[in-house]
Parts: sequence; structure tokens; C-alpha cells
Amino acid sequence: MSNFDIGLLSLPVLMLLIFLRMPIGLAMLVVGLGGTAMITGGWTVVLAKLKTETFTTFSSYSLSIVPLFLLMGQFATLGGMSTSLFNAAESWLGHRRGGVAMAAVGACAGFGAICGSSLATAATMGQVALPELRRYGYPGGLSTATLAAGGTLGILIPPSVVLVIYAILTEQNIAKLFLSAFIPGILAAVGYILTISIYMRVFPSAAQIRERVPYGARFKALFDVWPVLLVFFLVVGGIYLGWFTPTEAAAIGAAGTAIIAWANRALTLKSVADSILATASSTAMIFLIVLGAGFFNAFLALTQVPQEVSSFIVSQGYSPWLVLTIILLLYLVFGCFMDSLSMILLTVPIFFPIIMELDFGLTAEETAIWFGILVLIVVEVGLITPPVGMNLFVINSMAKETPIYHTYRGVMPFVTTDVIRVGILTAFPAITLALMRLLY
Amino acid sequence: AQEVTLKLHQFLPAQANVPKYVLDVWADNVEKGSAGRIKVERYPSMQLGGKPPELIDQAIDGVADVVWTVVGYTPGRFPRTEVFELPFMVTTAEPASRAYWEMFEKYMKDEEFKDVHILGTWVHGPGMIHSDKPVKVPADLNGMKIRGASRTVNMLLAELGAESVGMPVPAVPEALSKGVINGTTIPWEVTAALKVPELVHNHTEFTGQALYDVTFVLAMNKAKYESLPDDLKKVVDDNSGMEFSAFAGKTQEFYDGPARELAVKAGNNIITLSAEETAKWREAAQPVYDTWIADMDSKGYDGKALIEEAQALIQKYSK
Amino acid sequence: MAYLGGIVLLALVVITCLSVIGRNLNSLGHLPFVENAVPGLAGMLRALGSIKGDFELVEAGIAFSIMAFLPWCQMTGRHATVDVMTAFIPSRANRFLDLVWDVLFAFVMVVITWRLYVGMTDKMRYGETTFLLQFPIWWAFALCLLAAVVATLVTVYVAMQRVAGFLPGGGRPAAKHEAGKS
Ligand code: NA
Ligand code: NA
Repeated sequence: MSNFDIGLLSLPVLMLLIFLRMPIGLAMLVVGLGGTAMITGGWTVVLAKLKTETFTTFSSYSLSIVPLFLLMGQFATLGGMSTSLFNAAESWLGHRRGGVAMAAVGACAGFGAICGSSLATAATMGQVALPELRRYGYPGGLSTATLAAGGTLGILIPPSVVLVIYAILTEQNIAKLFLSAFIPGILAAVGYILTISIYMRVFPSAAQIRERVPYGARFKALFDVWPVLLVFFLVVGGIYLGWFTPTEAAAIGAAGTAIIAWANRALTLKSVADSILATASSTAMIFLIVLGAGFFNAFLALTQVPQEVSSFIVSQGYSPWLVLTIILLLYLVFGCFMDSLSMILLTVPIFFPIIMELDFGLTAEETAIWFGILVLIVVEVGLITPPVGMNLFVINSMAKETPIYHTYRGVMPFVTTDVIRVGILTAFPAITLALMRLLY
Repeated sequence: AQEVTLKLHQFLPAQANVPKYVLDVWADNVEKGSAGRIKVERYPSMQLGGKPPELIDQAIDGVADVVWTVVGYTPGRFPRTEVFELPFMVTTAEPASRAYWEMFEKYMKDEEFKDVHILGTWVHGPGMIHSDKPVKVPADLNGMKIRGASRTVNMLLAELGAESVGMPVPAVPEALSKGVINGTTIPWEVTAALKVPELVHNHTEFTGQALYDVTFVLAMNKAKYESLPDDLKKVVDDNSGMEFSAFAGKTQEFYDGPARELAVKAGNNIITLSAEETAKWREAAQPVYDTWIADMDSKGYDGKALIEEAQALIQKYSK
Repeated sequence: MAYLGGIVLLALVVITCLSVIGRNLNSLGHLPFVENAVPGLAGMLRALGSIKGDFELVEAGIAFSIMAFLPWCQMTGRHATVDVMTAFIPSRANRFLDLVWDVLFAFVMVVITWRLYVGMTDKMRYGETTFLLQFPIWWAFALCLLAAVVATLVTVYVAMQRVAGFLPGGGRPAAKHEAGKS
């Protein structure tokens, strides 16, 4: 069996193990290391990798943003901040059909504007919105799916960790990428709200309609968002004014939300302990996958599967649009079972040069930025496509009464809107590039 | 037919200057020289896993067969290479790379680097400052927040009252654009990829000696090298050593040119300090030399002699 | 252990915040306006600065925290899994799968901890230090190793409980899917 065959075979093996309920991170780790041992003909290389890679994976400054933002989300929830954000959205949208779910999407968009991580957005807003959705009788699968999809706004609406990594890999301007992600991010939020609206028309009895809130109360709810705005402006403003880096911003955000929680007398030894445990669970879950994905991707690279696939695509002499479509479809397929960050790290160095050689009638920089946003979106879709969608897991672990396949079913309409949006943005690059062309 | 596969692992994207113009050339030459019996599989951007500081261990342990790495990623492990990283030691990359190879063979081959087979040793083009405010005299750095590229340049920055901020290279553009740092030390060659000329508009070059430099090695797994039949060993040997090191240093420095041109085109303020002005900086850097010598002495090396020898060799190869 | 990891995480938050505040106050002390108006204060501000090597402290601390968080996640069965099949196979088969994966997890943790120890001794031998603070890198490895040892003990304990629970008349009654977690 050639290395390439081993690589191809590893994919169904990984899927099988995952379907047999093996923890996903563990499955990637075992398949990755086992495959590496097969290729290198022994365990020497694997044992050598294990000497340092566990440590260096965990000891990462850029990834330390993950537990920090998770902690911030915990404290924000303690201090009632995500609640007030959600309440404000709910008081304006709640009386519509499906309004509570729409409010959850709106609140996710708001939270996404300071949070670079999709998982943190999903987890934080999940904590606030899930009980409310339950209270108004929303079906479990719709609730979890709404929040999983809403959570993807965390990486789509800038700032975004994934875009920063793309910028670094492809040597593009971070500010321009952030700017270009803005319109697609808003489109995503609008698309999700439309999805909910259509869902509610198809299944009108799916949830109760919340009573209309008088305007006075609506503005009061909006006013109650001020601590959120304060922290938002401290964090985002601080990053843009150069007071601190994104990781530092996450730490400042955690401290700021802790202070607000303390001011609201919500900061007790017990509540802090609970926050730590919740952060601990999600952090460990994410990093086990990051660790496993690292080993699995290194193994895949070794089999040359990604390299061979890409050179096959180029050699076919297809039209640029077909190649782009194939690449985006590949991302969607890979996204069903791979972790987003590692997917970017593995594939962008391979696909980016291919794309840059094709002519889409754009300048090189425009092509690079447009492709980056498209990749960002398809990777973001990967967070909510079954069976391996990180957002689905995060939200589902918070809604214990909802079986995961209800979530899988519920998320399909959202995935559909995502695919439609990718289609539109692919066909009309000008939508993505408009802001950049306007401001630069 | 193909008999041997070498996995070449490094941390930069394939299209960056060094992978494209140094490592690919090396790999192609090895493949050609062996008439296709050696195949070099190229893994850019840490595709085989791990973080850049782990590269040297990957070569030692055989996780990769050949790695390109920055020696300073593992501070304290290869102490004597640091002589070429001292402020105002290196003139230009080629003679310094030759001097580095000579001292490597003489001192480091069987000590610091005994666990690995070194194919080449080189330094990049003159290290310099890129900053938001103009930097002309050492005192200008006082209070500025600068990312230092090596342990010794950080010592110098601290000495001059600047605050050395530690961060990985990829974080530099964002930190610069946000003003988290006021400047960074890197050679011209890297500035294009990091968009530095767009982010800050002052560049301080030095005449004669460079502000600092960074040492690289191209390293091969020892067992893998030993396992090669003699004729293939010869192919690898023909593509390593002083001439390859000189080629690598020279090539990397060559790409300083186009990158500098970008800054010129952008209308940036390029400050080229004269030899006299540079001498003042060198004077200000003396405490770094003293500390380094004391540090070396405590490790049982003759720091002063190393400095003198490196200077003499750079001089020798400059002719 | 998770609490210890959390305390370290909180400490990192404090260090980072102090560092940011110090750095920005330092910049304030360098503003010409402040220097002219209140030279005394400017001098004091300039004495402040970011915490040297905050970056390295975060990297060392976060590795410990994450490793310390692992056992909690394992104990509470919160690692991400796909349970599409759970409902379709008998409960005993589900418990058998839990058992297999937990035993495998314990084995992997033993290997990881062992290799981490070997990695640490390598770093001790090489005398490798960090960039700015120049403390030996093995200190950070040792901290992480400490957490890994605890994580290993916990995973081995969980695996043993699973085995006991699977045997007829055994101890741990509720497999994780039965408790409603996944
Ligand atoms: Na965001
Ligand atoms: Na997915």
C-alpha cells in the first residue's frame, strides 16, 4: 500500500471511529499517529513528535485567546451582559414569529463584533438564549441549530482569528480582509433570520409568539446594554487604537466583564468556580481536537493526498470558475469531518497558489482577499455541517435534552442559506470587495 | 530510479524568498545531481506538524530528514552561533556566512551540533529598524516599543531604553498597524511579505556593520545521511558546506533589494546612517558585548576570542 | 486540578492586564504634553512598563492550564463525540464502546505523559531557555508534566471504573449517554 493509499484509506477509518462515538480529538490523534507510524515504518517518529508537540500545541500564545474569550463569556454571562444583549434584541424582535430565535441571531452578531472565535460566541450566547428558547417552546433542534449557526458570526464578523491566520499564510493585509468580511457577515446574519422566518412559516405551530414589548421598555432594554457596549468598546476600541493585541484584548475583556459581574454582586467564590469549570470543559474539549487535528494534518501532508489532489485539479485545465467551485466544494466536504483552523492551515498553502494563477478579472490583491473571504465562509459552514461541526457539539453539550441528530436536522436549513450565500458571493466578487474598493 | 526520499521541512510558505530561491534550488540540485535517485519532498509552513522551535529536534529525531531553521528559536542551545548575532558584527551576508561555516566546522560541528548533520550555515542581509518615528541616534529608541528579532538585539534594545516586546513574526503586522509596537527589527527581505512599508514609514539602515543579524542552519538527520550510499552522500556533500552557505546568504541578501525598492516607491523615509553615526551605535552596544562575553565565559567558552575570530574571518572573506 | 488551572488562567489575565496598563501608562509618560505639564508624573509613568516576558509567561501558564483542564473534561464526559448511532444499538454495546474509548484514552494519556517527561529531560540537557526572561524552558515542561500526571491518573481511574461497571454487578451504573451527556 502506497503512502497515498494509506492517506485515502485514513479518511473512512476516521469517520468510522467517530461514528462509533470515539471522542473526535482522540480519533484524529490515534489515526494521525497510527498512520504516521505506518508510513514511517515504526513508532520512532511518532514517539519523537510526542516529546514536544503536546506541549507546544498547548503552549501557544495565539491560541491562548480561546480560554480567555471563553472565560470572558462566562463572566459576561455572570454579570448579566449577554442576557441584556439578548434582551435588547428580543424586545425589538421577540414579538415576531420566530422572534426569539431571530433575537438570538442578532445577539450573536453583536457578540461576534468583539469576539474572534466562533466557538466562544456560540457558547456564550447559547448560555443566555437556550433557556429562553426553551421557555417559548422552540423545538430543541431549531434552538441548538440557530445558536450553532449564529455562533459562526463570531468568525465571520470581524475581528476573526481565522482571517488573521489566512492573512499571515497568504501575506495579505489584515485590515483589508477584516473590512471585506463585514458585508458577508451582515448578509449571513440576515440570511439566518430569513431562514428562521421561513421555517416558522412552514411550521407555524413550532413555537409560541412572545408578547409585543412597548417602545419605552424597548429603549430601556437597549439602554441596559451599556455595560456590554462599554466592554465592547474597550475591547474593540482598544485593539483598533493600538492599546493592545487581540490576545491581550481577550484578557482585558475577561477582567472587564469580571469587574462588571462584581459590581452586579454576581461574583462569588462559587460563581467564579463554576465559571472556571465551564471554561475548563470547553477549553479541554477544543484543545484535544486541536492536538488531534495537528497530528492528523501532519500525517495527511505526509501521505501527499492534499498535494496530489490539488495538482490533479490544476492539470485538468478547467475554467477558473470551475476550479474555484471545486475547491470550495472540497472545503465543504472536508468541513464535514475536519476542524476549521487545521483545515485552513493545511489547505490554504496548497490552494492559494492555484487560485492566484487563475484569471477572474480581478487584481491579484482583490483575488486574494475575495478568495480569503470565500474560504472563511466555507470553513465557517464546516463548523455547522454534520457529523463533525464544532459549533454543533458546543451547543449540543449545553442542551442536554436535545439529541445530536435533532441538531443535525435543525441545522440543514442554515447550511442551505450558507451555501446559497457562498454561491452569490462567488458569482459577484464585487459584493465582497465593495467596501475595500470604496475606502482604499 | 528513485531510491531515497528526503522530507524537507520548514516554517515559511513555499512562495517566500528563502524556500523559493534557496531551498528549492538546493533540492533541485540534489535531485538533478543524483540523476533522480534522490527525491526531495518539500513541506513548507510546518506542514509536518510542530512549531518552528521544534524543527531542529525534528531533524535530530528523524521526524523530518532535512530542516531549515532559525538557530535563535532555541536560545541557549547553540551558544556560539550567537557571535554572528551580536550587534554590529555582520557586514554583509556572504562573507559572514562563510565565516560562520568556518567557525562551525572548527568549533561547533562536534559539540553544539553533534546530534545532527549540518548542510549549510548562513545569516540574512543586514538587520535594521523599521519604525513609526524616525530613529537616528541610539537615544531615539528610548521609550519605544520594539520587537527584537534575537536574544542579543533584545539586550541592545533594553540597553538603549527601548522596551523589547516579544511576539512571533506573524503577529508583527497587526501589532505595527495597531501601534502595539512602534517598530520592529528585521532585514529588508522580510518587510515585503509582512507589509511593513505600508504600516510604518521610517527605515533606519546602517553603514558598514548591521544592527544585528540572525543565524540559520540547514540541518539533516544524521542517521539518514549515514544511511546514504557513498555516491549519494557525495551528491549531498557537493550541495553543502561553505559554498552553499555563501550562496544562501548572498541570495537571501539579494532579495533585500526589491523589498527596499517598495519602501522607496511608497515614498518612505529611509535613513541611512553614515559610518561615523553607526560607530556611535556600536559604542552604545558595548555593554551587550560585555554581557555576552561574561555569559560565554561562564559557560566555559572564550567569548572575547570568538568575537575576534568572527571579526577577522568576516574581514578575510570580504576581500 | 481544574481549579488550579483556572487560578493560573486568572493569574495570566491579571499579568496581561497589568502589562497592558503598564505599557500604555509608559507611553503616556512619553507624551510631550505630559512631560511638559507634569514632569514628575511623567517620570513616574516612564518607570512603569509592560511586564517583561509577559508573552512567555502566558505560553508557559496556558500549557499548564489546558493540561489541568483535561481531567475535568474527561471525568464529566464532555469531550466532543458524535452519537448518531447511540440510539440504535443496545445499551450494553454503548457501554462497551465507552469502555473501549476510555481505556484507549487512558493509554494515550500514559504515552503522552511519558513522552512529555522525555521531552523535558531533553530540554534540561540542552539548556534551552526562553527568549526574553531566559528561564529554562524545562520549567514550563515540568509544570505541564505535573498536570499531565494528574490527567493520566484521572483517565486511568475513569477507565478502571468503566471496566468495573461493565463487568456483571459492577460499580459505575450510568454510562455517559445514559446520563444524557454526549
Ligand atoms: Na468576530
Ligand atoms: Na463540519
